[in-house]
Amino acid sequence: MGPAHAHPPGPECDEADEGAEEETVPAVRAENLYKVFGRRAATAVDLLSDGRHRDEIADLGVTAAVIDASFEVEPGEIFVVMGLSGSGKSTLIRMLNGLLPPTAGTVEIDGTDITGLKKAELRKVRSEKVSMVFQHFALFPHRPVVENAAYALEVRGVPREERRAKAMEALELVGLKDWEDKLPGQLSGGMQQRVGLARALAADTEIVLMDEAFSALDPLIRRDMQTQLLELQASLGKTIVFITHDLNEAMRLGDRICVLRDGRVAQIGTAQEILDHPANDYVATFTEDVDRTRVLTASSVMVPAAPYAAPTDTPRAVLRVMREQHRDFCFVLDGQERLLGVVEERDVQAADEEGAADIAEHVKPAEATTPPSTLVADLFADAARSPRPLAVLGDDDRMLGVIPRAALLDGLAMEGGRS
Amino acid sequence: MNPLTVPVPRLPVGDTFDRAIEWLRTNLESFFDVLGAVIGACVEALTGLLAQTSATQFTLLACAVIGVGLLRRGHLRPVAIAVGSWAVLYIAELAGGAATSVIGSMPAALFNPAMSLFQAEYVYPPLIPALLLLVALVVLSFVLGRGTRQELLAALTCVALFAVALAHFTLGVQLSLVTLPLFALLAYLVSGWRVALFTVLGFLLIISMDKWDNAMASLALILVATGVAVVVSLPLGILAAKSDRFSTVVRPVLDFMQTLPAFVYLLPAVAFFSIGTVPGVIATVVFAMPPGVRLTELGIRQVDKELVEAGEAFGAPDWAILRRIQLPLALSTIMAGVNQIIMLSLSMVVIAGMVGAGGLGNDVYRGIAQGNVPVGFEGGIAVVVLAIYLDRLTAAITRFSPAGRAAAAAR
Repeated sequence: MGPAHAHPPGPECDEADEGAEEETVPAVRAENLYKVFGRRAATAVDLLSDGRHRDEIADLGVTAAVIDASFEVEPGEIFVVMGLSGSGKSTLIRMLNGLLPPTAGTVEIDGTDITGLKKAELRKVRSEKVSMVFQHFALFPHRPVVENAAYALEVRGVPREERRAKAMEALELVGLKDWEDKLPGQLSGGMQQRVGLARALAADTEIVLMDEAFSALDPLIRRDMQTQLLELQASLGKTIVFITHDLNEAMRLGDRICVLRDGRVAQIGTAQEILDHPANDYVATFTEDVDRTRVLTASSVMVPAAPYAAPTDTPRAVLRVMREQHRDFCFVLDGQERLLGVVEERDVQAADEEGAADIAEHVKPAEATTPPSTLVADLFADAARSPRPLAVLGDDDRMLGVIPRAALLDGLAMEGGRS
Repeated sequence: MNPLTVPVPRLPVGDTFDRAIEWLRTNLESFFDVLGAVIGACVEALTGLLAQTSATQFTLLACAVIGVGLLRRGHLRPVAIAVGSWAVLYIAELAGGAATSVIGSMPAALFNPAMSLFQAEYVYPPLIPALLLLVALVVLSFVLGRGTRQELLAALTCVALFAVALAHFTLGVQLSLVTLPLFALLAYLVSGWRVALFTVLGFLLIISMDKWDNAMASLALILVATGVAVVVSLPLGILAAKSDRFSTVVRPVLDFMQTLPAFVYLLPAVAFFSIGTVPGVIATVVFAMPPGVRLTELGIRQVDKELVEAGEAFGAPDWAILRRIQLPLALSTIMAGVNQIIMLSLSMVVIAGMVGAGGLGNDVYRGIAQGNVPVGFEGGIAVVVLAIYLDRLTAAITRFSPAGRAAAAAR
């Protein structure tokens, strides 16, 4: 069986780096999760666990949707699962709340294995711990908006008045306050998905699964919704598993991103890790299309080398440093590496001619500074205006590095040099 | 004999069928007796209601209109209490003649005006609880329904009831002309003035052909058959939608039921229930049921998978998904099935007439048997009028279904 030539085994999955984890129970934990459709699924799992590609076992008459997926989602984190269509991401998310039973492997919600649960227990987990937002909204067209939002509470048996109040709160959170009595058909796509979001929020579960929640929306509305989700997340702190096929969306939303390819986990890491150290060529080609300026931050493009001096240095010493580095300015730092300002070559020259003992009285404030978390996209204007490199300052004005204009361009060009 | 003729053994298909029926008849006789009695009673009661409406029935009809109005405004509990008290009184009257003895103990002068209104020689005891219920509901309407149009509804219903009673019982206008406006009103409320106009003209035609009583008898038969067919086909359709295996088993059975010539299942129907209305209803149910099952299955399967998944994802149990998501959204398709059931029932009316089911079928059958073209044709025309009336009515009900309202909202 199987084709004559051997494929290289699929990319090894990055196990979630266990060393860095604290002793908290992960909100969601998947271990060696498989989903294979077809009669001979068990045989297929054996072959797949030996590292065969899923196309090799197609003649078993099975479809392998998810292969050996392992990851942990920490409480309060947005965990994005990114993959193209057919990569198994929708199947994966449906195993996390038990809508699909896995062929092999385990899913733990708050430390409880849900793969072995009875139907009624599973329903309890779903109604109390995990809610879901759907790609095509899945609103009940025959119920008014408020009753859609209250659905999870209705299932739980919450009295009518109370669930209406909670649903109204959730609708207010998503900005749909005066729409409660409309039917979903009367709302635009973006508003409908807000109802979908409100339905999940009203359920007040710790975990929210979002299955391509914004993919069916127009680009502009999608951006609005992403912003709104990030704002809500900042105040609510839910654990969100977000599925998308759009890497830009993944990079924007995800605290960590899991890249799926052909059912296998290709890489798990932060946006920056995936951009800077793609696990393989597949991930690397993906990242080519990413707008890096919206992912990379000042700290990732800054360079350490810069002429710097202490205020007590003699003008002559400072001049030498500047000339060595071919600069006409010099940053001035105190003993704790805090930025005091800059001195310019002609001022130092003048001081030297006057025979001054140090450069302290020529220090001017450095205007162009930035915190390390600023996105590269937001640095361009400052960089263009300033004659000198931007200074990246950490806490207490500590100097972390500088960003010359060339470094900005280097950061953007990085992926070209890599492949 | 041609030497190439191959002898094919004669399979005793018909005899086996006959023996199976015989076996069923002897072993399940009591079941068929009860079933036959229930169906017979239903048809009879309904025919009575349609063709010989009593004052009590008119009163209860008025109560139903006001009661539904109150229910739609959310006054479930008071209506339930009023109807419950009425039911207790009614059962007490049926069981022990409670109302009769109460009425007997009261001075006759109290009842004289009512008796003269209805041209009655004595007070029909069940009328009293019915009138009490009416009074209770009207009072409820004026107390609870203040400011809504419930007061208007109650007042108009009472006026209509009084007008009907006056026209029919006092002035002696025939019942058909009194009930015709009610049919037209229903048509107007459900599907608009065109259908109402058609109802008036069509039903006047039936009256002028002197087919009213037969038409009402057929209508009763159709309504009972439809009711039975819906009650049977709805659960079957739901099962078929839930289970692929059940669906594949049930489909050929439905095909068989639909294609077997209708005359053929009159035979076992007559064997089980002898001749009369009951085998007519049974044959009609068998013939008319398949589209009910099919469209129920289709309707439920058509409901967006993601909606069902949403129900599951929030932990709703299966029955709640069925009742709150699938059935409401499938309702318009299911109603199309009910519409089909009614249409097929109408086409069975004539065949049912052959086994003595009465009604319009009887006229048509007599026309055929005696070569009497006028009688047969007039019976046929009356069937057509009934068919159009019922079709337009059931088709319009779809608009009121949840999915229909959702679709209208999306436009």
